[in-house]
Formats: sequence, structure tokens, C-alpha cells
Amino acid sequence: MTNEPWKLNDTGYAVPVMPWWAGGLGIGIVLLIAVALVQPIGVSTQYVVLDGVLLHALSPDLADDSPYLKEASKGWTLATYEFFFVVGIPIGAFLAAAITKRFSTRVVPPLWAYRFGQAPGKRLAWSFIGGFLLLFGARFGGGCTSGHMISGVSQLAVSSFIFSAALFASAIVTARWLYPEQVKQ
Amino acid sequence: MNLLLGFLLGAAFGAILQLSGASSYTKILETLRLKDLTIMKVIMTAIGVGLIGVHGLDVLGVAHLKVKDLYLPGIVIAGLIFGMGFALTGYCPGTALAAAAEGKLDAWVTIVGGLFGALTFAFLFPNLESFLASFGGFGPVTIHGSFGVNGLLIALPLGVLCLWGAAKLPGSGTT
Repeated sequence: MTNEPWKLNDTGYAVPVMPWWAGGLGIGIVLLIAVALVQPIGVSTQYVVLDGVLLHALSPDLADDSPYLKEASKGWTLATYEFFFVVGIPIGAFLAAAITKRFSTRVVPPLWAYRFGQAPGKRLAWSFIGGFLLLFGARFGGGCTSGHMISGVSQLAVSSFIFSAALFASAIVTARWLYPEQVKQ
Repeated sequence: MNLLLGFLLGAAFGAILQLSGASSYTKILETLRLKDLTIMKVIMTAIGVGLIGVHGLDVLGVAHLKVKDLYLPGIVIAGLIFGMGFALTGYCPGTALAAAAEGKLDAWVTIVGGLFGALTFAFLFPNLESFLASFGGFGPVTIHGSFGVNGLLIALPLGVLCLWGAAKLPGSGTT
């Protein structure tokens, strides 16, 4: 523990209460139920759908200008199986955190604070940029961790193997650039 | 009925992400820094179960599959961009929703950034479309399809390999 000082006063560190194998098995079972009854799981398209519905409410002409938005948010509605799946995620997570008494608010993750300081502005600016890249990349690639890595690799989709490999290579390099080895004495 | 099913499956998914630590910034970054591979073990287990189960369901004729198109070099660039966002935020599009719900404000901002990123892509798409598949669009290619064999033939050994790998990888368990 001594070489991981950010864990000592770590109120924001949601310690897992479910062992890795149960988590993986659970996610696998959710995928199998979805595949058996409806279709493989996916999240990132629904960001586009929400964008489309919000933009259509604000300015229908502008929304109609994008064939991509029109295609994703068919009928400009959120009452779909796919969107409700995504709405369920935060609600399930909230209940899980509340029931296990692991709900805690914070802005800056302790590990980030240890390396880059407590300033919330810096963390939030990078969170915004990172979030932008995350969804830009996901839509560019046609899927995210759930759609490509979990659903796609399970279906032996070649695009999903390539996407996942590129994702991890880039994420590992970026993480090592953010947290060089010297930091952890 | 379908809406309720979607909601319940999503809620189960969100609860599992939360309980297994996948929505934790620290857990994700420790995995990407190759210090604590717990999340990698979770993902590999899910993929192992998924590979065997999905192709098992397919053999039984009850699988609803949806394979994504392969296009190069687009898919590689997309993965690289996504990976940078993943390491910067510590969340993916799904776990950001889970983390936001458990009170992590940086995850809220990640979601807002994501909505802008997705919107930007939506409006750039007509210009990007030809570049996306500049070397070629190959359609929904699968590994077993290109070998012309039944999926389970590859999925079963690969799935077992994933489960074995998940068990062998070092992690910190539930601590």
C-alpha cells in the first residue's frame, strides 16, 4: 500500500464487491439473453439518438440536415428497446452502489489528484475532451466497448477484433504517457 | 414489453459494471497501466462466455446476430481515437453512465463531451464517409465465415482460451 498513496485517503475509489469471474459471467449472461431475445448489446449509438432527439426538439431543420442523425434516431423517438437498455445502466448502477453503500460523490479521482493535483477544472476539461474522443471514435468505428469488444468479438467479427486491438494499444500508450513509471516511486 | 426488457437488461448490466469495479476510474487506469488487471479478467470472462454462448445459441437457431462492417483504415483510426478517450476519462460510453449515477462528476462531463463528439461525427459523416472505407469496405466479415466453417468450431476453443487466460492473469481479486 505504501507505494500507492492515492489509495490511503481514497473516498472515491469504488472497491469492487463482485469477484472478476462473477462480473464477467454476469455480463456474458446479459449478452446471451439479449442475443437470444432481441439483438447484441450496444451503447454508443444511443448518444447519437439522444443528440438527434434533442436537436430535433430545438431545431428540426438542422436535425433533418444530417442523414446520419436521421438514420440513427428513427422517428426522433427515445421509446425504443435500445434506448431503454442504455437508460437502465445508470439506474442499475445507482441501485447497486446505494445498496452496497458505495455511493460517493467526487470530482477528481484520487489517482488523478496524486499526479495532476486537486484542481477540478483541469480534470473536467480533460474529461470533456476525452469524452468527445470516446464517442467520436466509437461512432467512427461503429461501436464501443460493449458493441465491439463484448458483442462483436463474441460473434467473431473481424472488425471488432481490429477495433479492440487498436483501442487497447492506444489506451495503454495514453495511460502510460499520463502516468509515467517514475511517478510511482 | 420490449422497452421493459431493454430497461431490465440495461439495469442488470449497469449493476454488474458497478459491482465489479468496471465503472471505477482507478480500476480502469490500473488496468491500462498494467498494474492490476482485474477489469481485463472481467472482460475476458465476458468474452469467453459470450463466444461459447452466442455460437451455441446460433447452432440452436435462436441467436439474433448483428456483425459490424469491416472497413480499413477507418476501424483502426477509430480504435486509436477511442483508446485515447478511454485512458483520458477512465470510462467508456457505458461505464460513464454507471459512474455518473454513483456520483462521479467527471463522468457527467465525459457524457456531455461524448454527446458533442457524437454530434460532431454525425455532421462530419457525409465528408468522412468516403475516407472511412478508403482502402476498402469488406462488409460484415467474421473469422469463421472467411474460413467457411461453423462458428462454434472456432468460438469454443477461443472461448475456453479466454476463460483460461482470465483465470491466469494476475489481478487483485476483490480487494
